[in-house]
Amino acid sequence: MTSGTAHAQALTVDSISLSFGGLHVLSDVSMVLEPGVITGLIGPNGAGKTSLFNCLSGLYRGQRGDIAFAGTPLQGLGPAQRASLGIARSFQNLALCPDLSVIENVLVGLTLKRRSGWFSAFVPTAGRRAEQAEAESSAMAALNELGIAAAAHQMPAELPPGTLRLAEIARAIVSEPKAILLDEPAAGLNAVETRDLMRALKHLMRPDLILFIVEHDMDMIMKLCERIYVLNFGTIIANGTPDEIRRHPDVIRIYLGDDADD
Amino acid sequence: MVSWKGQLAVVSELAQISKGPITPISSRGSHPDIIRLSLFALLALLIIVPLVAGGFLVYSLSLCFANALAVLSVSVLVRYSGEVSIGHSFFVALGAYTVAIIEHQFGFTVLVSLPVATALGGVAGFVFAFPSRRLSGIYLAVATMALALALPEMLIGFEKITGGFEGLYIARDLIPFASKALQRYYLALAILGLVCLALAQFRRSPQGMALLMARAQPRAAEAIGITGSWARISVFTLSAALASTAGALAGFASSTVSPNSFSFWSGIFLLVGSVVSLNGLSLAAALAGGAFITLVPTYLAHAGDWVPILYGAALILVSLVANASGLQRIVQGWRVR
Repeated sequence: MTSGTAHAQALTVDSISLSFGGLHVLSDVSMVLEPGVITGLIGPNGAGKTSLFNCLSGLYRGQRGDIAFAGTPLQGLGPAQRASLGIARSFQNLALCPDLSVIENVLVGLTLKRRSGWFSAFVPTAGRRAEQAEAESSAMAALNELGIAAAAHQMPAELPPGTLRLAEIARAIVSEPKAILLDEPAAGLNAVETRDLMRALKHLMRPDLILFIVEHDMDMIMKLCERIYVLNFGTIIANGTPDEIRRHPDVIRIYLGDDADD
Repeated sequence: MVSWKGQLAVVSELAQISKGPITPISSRGSHPDIIRLSLFALLALLIIVPLVAGGFLVYSLSLCFANALAVLSVSVLVRYSGEVSIGHSFFVALGAYTVAIIEHQFGFTVLVSLPVATALGGVAGFVFAFPSRRLSGIYLAVATMALALALPEMLIGFEKITGGFEGLYIARDLIPFASKALQRYYLALAILGLVCLALAQFRRSPQGMALLMARAQPRAAEAIGITGSWARISVFTLSAALASTAGALAGFASSTVSPNSFSFWSGIFLLVGSVVSLNGLSLAAALAGGAFITLVPTYLAHAGDWVPILYGAALILVSLVANASGLQRIVQGWRVR
């Protein structure tokens, strides 16, 4: 798949290669993440999923290849600059601040939209209060959308991992990004929490949103995604619809083993 | 002077302390009404004290308020960036000398020099933080140590303006003809109270929350658009501005500035005060830290060489106690939201 056929607003990865010393983590990986499509990435442990993810969000830089978002090349931009282009991500390990309540953690997601200056950080001016009320209502809306508004004023330490994961996704969506990258959102969640998460993600989907999910949970990816890429030893070995992936001989052999005939 | 080896041992010990677990700051203290009530009682008591107490206590308390603010400046650095400074005496001295020099050179009172001291502290903090924005932990602590060590030499070197070994006197009053002792006391108390209120606001501000996020989850913060270097520079600038304000108040309260007050150890003592107050940002925490580093040496002056040992013992005790799980709830109530 090349960027030639891509949607104008797509996030495209073109022949990315990444190595740490002599270890080739990604070689010649290409993919297209289109708006309105939930795209998934699967692969066994150590296949390079998180490395690819970090290349997308700017934590790593590939030695070769290009990444572009809606035509803008991303190579050379750091995570913060990519965030300002509208790319939001979640982390595999829960990355909420333990000192902030759930709604405050979500409010931090609006940092780039902040207008109030340093003076109003110390003195509650009318402008700051208005901005804060506005920010709180968007944070509440994001929590509502994910069904965890009831936990808004609780501290992360008091909540189960499922709720925290949703809170992290709320932080990613509150700034109304154009692309959301989720790194193993179901990690550490039980079956009920995973179901709630899937429902929330489907609810979130919009025609102009790029949603990209890296996941271990095969079942979840198969039910949720419309397009799936399979990564093994740093190369894409298959991509297609869930049905195509399920039938793909390489995927069955390398990733799914003998139990894939469900 | 203690050996270099000794100083470095202290630094690494202190850096370890700051790495301790962060207690969640709960907005639901066990008894918020009781806490608020006792805070008002404490404030009322402090307002009445100079009307009934003797001169020496009033003088000591004025210094205690100024030191409380200096301790608070270190606590701001620890709480919002997780970093440790042992060189904050540099910024404190900057504030104190600003007041003295402005009076000697231009004849203005603390009314003018206090805001100037705050601004200069912020500028100096920024100038220090910008080149060291990628340093953290022990490396930043050692860099701040360089400030503290260079300070006495600088004060003596610029003898013409700083008065050298002798230092300078601060004679002008804020309000002419009013009691000197009372204006020193109430100015320091008022500024300390205002700073605590402003810091409580800051905790809820977008900037404050962004800094806490950058401290706890640097990579996640980066992905939201909060860069680590912005966070480090902002906190250090803020902290240095507060330290310089504290210095201005200390200079005004003691009517004198001299290199003796700003030795290498005074930077360490500020950090000790911050640790003893559990890095709290509330008025009560700041007062506890300020009282510890002001009143203990004053009232235990005859203990002489035992004062550093006492400090060391207090440090060990506090860090052990504060990290004991049974006391976490008390600690939470103590810390400001």
